[in-house]
Order: sequence, then C-alpha cells, then structure tokens
Amino acid sequence: MAHKILVVDDDNALREMVGIVLESEGFEVCFHDAGSGALDAFKAQEPDLVLLDVMLPGKDGIEVCSEIRASAGTPIIMLTAKTESEDVVRGLEAGADDYVVKPFDPTVLLARIRARLRPLSKADGETVQIGPLTLDIVGHEVRRGAEKLLLTPLEFNLLLTLAVKPKQVFTREMLLETVWGYHYKADTRLVNVHVQRLRSKIEDDPDNPKIVTTVRGIGYKAGQG
Amino acid sequence: MTIRAAIDWALGLFRRFLQVRAVFTTVVLSGIALLVVGGFLSYSIGNGLYQTRVSQILAESERGVVEVQNTFAASTVTDDIALQSLLNSVVPSLESQGSSDSRNVALLRTPGQVGSQILQSPISADLDTAVIPIDLKSQVRNATGKLTYQSIGLPQANGSIHPAVVVGSPIEIPLAGKYERYLVFDLNGEQQTLDFVQSVLFWGMLILLFMIGAVSYFVTNWLVKPVQVAAEVSEEIAEGALDRRLTERGEDVIAILARSFNRMADSLQKQITKLASVSKMQQRFVSDVSHELRTPLTTIKLAGDVIFASREKLEPAAKRSAELMHDQIERFEVLLNDLLEISRYDAGAVAADLEIQDMNGIVGSAIAGLEPLAQSRGSVIEIKIPSGPVDVEVDGRRIERLIRNLLANAIEHGESRPISVAVGLSDSAVAVSVTDAGVGMSRAEVDRVFDRFWRADPARKRTTGGTGLGLAISLEDTQLHGGWLQVWAKPNEGASFRLTLPRRQGMIFTQSPLPLPPKQPKRKEVAGE
Repeated sequence: MAHKILVVDDDNALREMVGIVLESEGFEVCFHDAGSGALDAFKAQEPDLVLLDVMLPGKDGIEVCSEIRASAGTPIIMLTAKTESEDVVRGLEAGADDYVVKPFDPTVLLARIRARLRPLSKADGETVQIGPLTLDIVGHEVRRGAEKLLLTPLEFNLLLTLAVKPKQVFTREMLLETVWGYHYKADTRLVNVHVQRLRSKIEDDPDNPKIVTTVRGIGYKAGQG
Repeated sequence: MTIRAAIDWALGLFRRFLQVRAVFTTVVLSGIALLVVGGFLSYSIGNGLYQTRVSQILAESERGVVEVQNTFAASTVTDDIALQSLLNSVVPSLESQGSSDSRNVALLRTPGQVGSQILQSPISADLDTAVIPIDLKSQVRNATGKLTYQSIGLPQANGSIHPAVVVGSPIEIPLAGKYERYLVFDLNGEQQTLDFVQSVLFWGMLILLFMIGAVSYFVTNWLVKPVQVAAEVSEEIAEGALDRRLTERGEDVIAILARSFNRMADSLQKQITKLASVSKMQQRFVSDVSHELRTPLTTIKLAGDVIFASREKLEPAAKRSAELMHDQIERFEVLLNDLLEISRYDAGAVAADLEIQDMNGIVGSAIAGLEPLAQSRGSVIEIKIPSGPVDVEVDGRRIERLIRNLLANAIEHGESRPISVAVGLSDSAVAVSVTDAGVGMSRAEVDRVFDRFWRADPARKRTTGGTGLGLAISLEDTQLHGGWLQVWAKPNEGASFRLTLPRRQGMIFTQSPLPLPPKQPKRKEVAGE
C-alpha cells in the first residue's frame, strides 16, 4: 500500500511541484495551504507522514507541529527556509522528527521521507527490557509496569536502538545513521533535542536521567554505569 | 634599581594625575615664597635684636667708663700697691657673670708709653685677651674718649662659638698712664632667642606648607572630580553605553561642560541609532531577499531535476537546455548560500561551533572533495603534513569549507601546475598553506583579493563557477576563529594563501608555523617544532 503524505505549504507552485515529485515516486499525496486548519486536514486525511513548511499564514509551522504531536506520533519533516539555529531547534522541540532546508534536492527529500517511513530496526525476541521499561517491539509500545507511555515512532526507535545494546555507547553520528538514516555528517542537534524529548517522557527526573544517560564527550547509552 | 623604580613611579603619578601636578606646583611655589618671607623675617628679627643689644651695651659701657674715670679721679692712692689693688677692684665692679649674658673685662696698658710697666693688667678670669681683635685695639688707641666696638666670635670651653661684642675705650689712670679698657659682652642670650624664633618660624612655615598642599589637593580634587566623571562617562559611551549622561547641576563652568557634553552625547546617540537602524534594515533586507528567494528556487530546482531526469526523452536543444539549467540552478543556490552566510556575518549572528579536531583530517577531507576537479584540470596536489595528529580547536565545517575554497581557487588559477598544501604547528598555532604556481596576482590585485564579488580578471574565462564571495567568507571565518588569513602572490609565479589559527581559542600567537611566501620546494623543511 502506498504511503500517504500530507504537504502543508502556502506556496502553490512548490506544493504542486513537491506533489509531482512524490507521486512520481509512488506516494499518495494530499495538500493543505495554511497553518490554520492544518490539524483538521491532518485528522481528515490520516497521513503516514507530514511535510510541514515553517512559515505559514494564519499559524506558523511550529505551532501546527505541536498540535499534531499532541494527538499523534506521525512523522513530521519540517521544510525550512531559515537555517538559523533558533528556528531549527524550535521546530525540533515542537516535535518535528527531521528537517529539510530549502532549496532541497528531490533526492534528499525522498531519502528523508523514506528514512522516516522505514520499518523499525529489527531486534531478537518480542520485548526488550531497559530499566523499569518494557519495549514491545511488535506492538511498538513502551510500558512502565502497567502504564503505557506514548512515544512517537522516532522516539521508540531511538530508545530501542539504545536498549538492544545496553552496554554500548552510541555517538551522535552513529545515532544519526541508525535512527535518522543519515549516511554523512548531519546536524547533531537532531539527536540532542530528541534525547531531551525522550527523557521528558520516560525518566522520573529528566534533569537526572537514569535510563538514557549521557557519556560526556562521546554520546549516549542506555542505563547507568 | 628600587630608587629608579620609585622615581619612575613618581614620574608616572606626575604624568597621569592632574592633582599631583597641581599640588606639587603649589607646594613648590609656596615653599619658595615662604622661604623668602622666612628669610626676611629671620634677618629682621636677628638684626633688631642685635641693634637693641648693642645700643644697650654702649650705654652700659659709657656709664662704666665714667664710673671708672671717676673712681680713679677720686682716689688718693700714691703708691703702686694701692694703685694695683684699685686697678684690680675695677674689674669685678664691671664684670657680670651669667650663663648666657656674661660680661668680661680687661684693663690693658697701652703699649709704647714712657716708663716701664710695673703694674699688672687686671683681666677677668674667663677672658682670653686674644679674642680682642688687633684692629679694634688700634682704633681704641686713636679714638680719644670714644667708645669703639666690634662683634666677634667667642670660643667656649665646649668648642662652640658664641656671638659677642667687644667695646673698647681708652682710660687715663693717674700715676699709671694710658690704659685701654675692654668690655666683652656675650650675646648668647640674643642668639638663643633668635634660634628659638627661627625654629618657630621654620616649623610654622612647614605646617603652613603642608596645609597649603592639603588645601590645594582638596581644591584641585574638587575641580577635577567633574572632569574625571566626564572622562569615565565618555569611556562608557565609547564602549557602547550610548544612554549614559552627566548630571547637570548649577550654573558654573562645570554645569556648562555637563550640558554641552550631554547635548553632544544626545546627537551622537541619535546619529548612531539612525545609522544602526539603516544598517540593520539593509542586513535584514539581504537576509529577507535571500530567504524569499528560497521557496521559488526550491520549486525551480525540483522542476529542473524532473526535466533533467527525463532529458533523454527530449530533442537535442531542449536536452542541452535542461542540462544548462540544472548546472545554473546549482550555481544560483551556492551564490544564495554565500550571500546568506555573508549577511549572517554582517548581522553578527555567527557563532563558531568549536571542537578539538585533527587539522590533518580536515585538510584531507577538503582535498578528497576537490580531487576530481584537480584531476580534470590536470593539477597534482602535493601534501606536506606533520606525521602525528594536529589537534586544534576549530569549527570544522567552516575550516573545511575555507580550505576547500582556497584549493578551488588554486586549481582554477594554477595553470595545471602542481599545487602544494602544507600543515604546520607550533605550541600556540596551527597553519595551513595552499600554494599554486599559476598566474599569480599583482600587488594591486592582492590588496583587493578579499573584497566581495571581486574577480582577479573579469575577462578571463571562468570554469569552476565561484561566487566571488568565497574569499570574503573565508576571511570572516578566519576572524571568527581569531586567526590570520594572509596572501602572497607574484604575477606568473603563483599565489600562496596561509591560514594561521590559534590551537585553542584565546591563545595568543605572534608567528605562523609556516613561512609566507613559501620557501622553494626543495628547501622546504618540516615546519613546527
């Protein structure tokens, strides 16, 4: 079944052009042209992935991103004309999984989309235990005891990647490659921001993490010690 | 050494502080004035004391002479023994002994008279007749019935000399002949009074001088303070606190200074704010234009790619057009990115993403990226790097871009001759030089090489499609790291760019580990020890 992608952008030509590129690669595409009503369009279309422009009339992309995140973990890729750190970080903190800077190559856009729609990394068995958490690989669920935690697919993938090799320290570059699908140097802020978001959902005290810990100067690992 | 240091310190104070100079000058000038006044006072008092005493002495002597004369006149002695005892009695009657006010007497027979000296000359026990000056004696002999006096120094048993006055007068003694009577008055009492007055004057004036110094210090301080405050406020304004002002109080010259100063600061602030807002608007404009161009460029790029991907299905003219468009869109994008980067630098919105990295690695990946271009142009890239890793704290992305840019320039202008890349290090700096043996540049061209959109030779065919902003951005990147980017070039001999960066941010270096212009390849040594 073809994946459905919602493109939210106020520029008619760009919207149509992105549509042509995506459809030629076999995706099903739907559109919305403003920030206001984007959430309704999302709920009506139930896409597998959202391409979201940052600068939108009515409501900016960052707000739309937060709204969608509040109700679903659907992958969101921001389209941004601004490369300034602030905009990128704000978008990521609002819950975007990844971002693409305009003007982008069609190949880059497709690679980012495919990376987000890729099935999760395989692991032996059906569940993985990490600290007080149980990861159900088949059901894409994380439980703390009986409590079910709501993680986005990206966050689940990030946690699972760390959890299956609990003793290994992952550098940010390794995580970018495994979780985000980047095969060359990319923005390590992606990792930093998403680890923070993940911690805020799974840790008792996100400022003093016990499940996903920082290894100074290297990267991250699952568990302590 | 320490004296020298103290003098230097004092001179430094003198040069730096207006107050010190004012106080010093006041004290020196007042000191001179006090010295003159003190000298005058001391002299007048001394003279007055002396004159008073002398007239008193003369009066006493006068009386004494009359008394002695009368004594002899009234006596009825006829024999020598009685005369001698009379003579002897004269001395004690004129003597007066005191610690500081003694009076001694000598009754001397005038020499050169007929008849022999039979009688002894009576002299006070404490008196040494040698103190009586000879010229006084002769004056006394010639002055009949008059008092003659002279001031002398009177040696004391303890070695000191007291001032004294000798008064002499001739006396006619019946039966004994001519005599000279001398009275020696010790003026030590007056001297002590004078000493006391002088010491009081000295200490009084010293205290006065100190007070003058203190007063002048306070007064100059009081006057200098507002100037000092004005200087401090100017300094703060110069450092960017444009809204700092002086307090305006009163109607005096200081208040006028404060008001004028504040008016000047107001107009400066207005001008600067205006300029800043114009410049900010301009930067904003460049940034906005660049951003606004991005959305249509994205569409064009996607469209161009779709057309380019299906170019085989197009007829030859359309196919070539698709290829040209594809290349030019890429060039346009690079230009737009460079423009944005420059506008970010202009807006001061660039922060280095510093990390300790291996410069050899950065240089290696920059070379790897340009190896295909170098091969297509037939240029060989020679590398001279230190054997170990060269750790340096840099923003790796920017420095790699910078070196790539230098390499691209070297390939473009290198006339297919070998290009040499060297890395050198010292304790405080790391350097990378990129040298070509191509067309080179003239002096005037070297001066403009970092200018935006400047091209060495506009008529020359361009093949690598640089944006004209590359070196301008490279220079900004270098300055962001606190480093140097220097160039050496000679027409038809080649050009060499040398980048020198501190090994850690904030490190001070005065020399680059690599030479510029580069030494001849054969003589080139492994740099950095």
